[in-house]
Amino acid sequence: MIWVSWRRQRAQLLTLLGLLVVGAGVITLLRSSMIDSLTSAGLTGCVSVPLDQCTAPAAAAKSFAEAWANPLDIARMSILFGPALIGVFIGAPLFARELEQGTHVLAFTQSVSRTRWMVSKLVMALVPALVVLAVLQSMVSWWLSAAGTLGPLMNGPFTALNFSIGHVSPAGYALFAFALGTFIGVMSRRTLVAMTAGLGAFVVVRFALAGLVDRLVPAQRVEVSPDKELTVYTDGSLVLDHGYLDAAGQPVAQDKVNALTAACKSVPQGSGTAESQQEFLACLPKSGLAKRYADFIPESQAWQVHLVDAAIFGALAVLLLAGTTWALRRQS
Amino acid sequence: MNPLTATALGKRYRARWAVRDCDFTVPGGKVVALVGPNGAGKSTLLRMAAGIVRPTTGEISAFGTPVRGRIHPDVSFLAQDRSLYRDLTVRELARACAAMNDRWSADRVREVLGLLAGVDHDAKVGTLSAGALTQVAIAMALGRLPRLLLLDEPLSDLDPLARDETLRIIMTEVAERGTTVVMSSHLLSDLREVCDHLLLIDEGRVQVDGDIEEVLAQHRILVGPAADESAVEGTLINATRTERQATLLVREARPAPKGWAGTEPDLESLVMGYLRASRERRSST
Repeated sequence: MIWVSWRRQRAQLLTLLGLLVVGAGVITLLRSSMIDSLTSAGLTGCVSVPLDQCTAPAAAAKSFAEAWANPLDIARMSILFGPALIGVFIGAPLFARELEQGTHVLAFTQSVSRTRWMVSKLVMALVPALVVLAVLQSMVSWWLSAAGTLGPLMNGPFTALNFSIGHVSPAGYALFAFALGTFIGVMSRRTLVAMTAGLGAFVVVRFALAGLVDRLVPAQRVEVSPDKELTVYTDGSLVLDHGYLDAAGQPVAQDKVNALTAACKSVPQGSGTAESQQEFLACLPKSGLAKRYADFIPESQAWQVHLVDAAIFGALAVLLLAGTTWALRRQS
Repeated sequence: MNPLTATALGKRYRARWAVRDCDFTVPGGKVVALVGPNGAGKSTLLRMAAGIVRPTTGEISAFGTPVRGRIHPDVSFLAQDRSLYRDLTVRELARACAAMNDRWSADRVREVLGLLAGVDHDAKVGTLSAGALTQVAIAMALGRLPRLLLLDEPLSDLDPLARDETLRIIMTEVAERGTTVVMSSHLLSDLREVCDHLLLIDEGRVQVDGDIEEVLAQHRILVGPAADESAVEGTLINATRTERQATLLVREARPAPKGWAGTEPDLESLVMGYLRASRERRSST
């Protein structure tokens, strides 16, 4: 049965292999070319430190970042769109085409069971696609890490694009897109319907669930006195909530905060000077804004968010695959 | 154990019954002609027997085992659209079918394909002619070494030569292995040569079920004066009348009354009589 599935999906598997070879080759070439230009511009040391500690001329760093922004973005986009493509071109036609062309009848009238037929098709379609996606994803991240803080990683792992292509998230999305495609394919029995409706549904669900995962991972809270800076905005953390606390440690409502800070601003004569800024900061605790706080997920815990994200989409995928199995078994 | 038994079998698609209240038995070793007009439910019946379509009511059993969601190991099915993997070569298709079956005779497939002079084993299935396609599909069905062969329109789209070849493959199978065959077709004249049992269905119901010789012997075609039809005894199936003469298909007919000529119908005129009758029934309601 594995041979049958392999033979029937041979063209698709060879296409995947071709994509893998070409993708890996292009990434390797571009990466080494990028490292050459880093070396020649004397930027090698700037890759692993924050931008303001970079000893090289600022113009060199800027022109490097501009020159490589596009290739790096295209690489990130290809990993972002990978799951959707897997859903549309591999998941959706998998059963829809058989049902549309009636070739499922051939398999259903041999002694192989419907479930075994289905599983062997699913495995033969899904596993290579996931492997190719994972390899390309790790190659892109290998390339991105070579650009370090001069590239998109500067913004931390929680920006929408960086998060979508990091860790196990792409695998979760791909699994979901694939399962969604197969399910709609079995229900509609039309390849084109499954491809378009599957893509639409995938995009909608991805957007709808985009913010959900942040709320499911326990956030940490940092509190500082108003005259101190919060570092969470610059160290790559995901800030979920922020504001002021009163002396009792309770959050102060935003409109009250606005009124109090406005009152403090109007106390000193003239503004913009260092003294007026100090007076302003000293005024805040006296008015009842004792501390600033922020709820955040640190960069070091990004993997937890990715795991929860992949778990959500993985669970949806399992449900959809169960639905596909049920529909195929009672297919008539 | 009878190869095929239907009890109160019915299949409804939305509001329409494709097959309804079907009761019949296919005895072993018979070659059954399943006939009826387009949309009579022949395909649905065969697909239910093959386990592809689930009955809405009743049950169909193959060799005593109810067919539920999967085909009986001793049954092979030829679908009307032939449902083969068209992007595979004939050789690869045979390998694929072998891989999907617990019991498989590659020799049998090679033997059947060997009967076909024109089929290139390395040609893509999708490039074959309609005749070759059907014959390859039958070869695959026979590879399962079935005891019951279900053929949905095996002769449609075939030129006379391919039709003759295909029938020969089927008849060889019947003669060599004693396989029971149920085949649906419109081509009554071809069926007459190979079939010995008739199952006529219309509007999803069984109209005639029996050995062809017996069924034919039970019926008479009576030709006589149109004015004098009351003299004829028996169950009138269908009548065609001109101004002066009536041609009646009668079941359980008594000897022809005076002035009437009685003959035994051939299969074609018998089936035509029943089909005409059911069409008249339908248009009158």
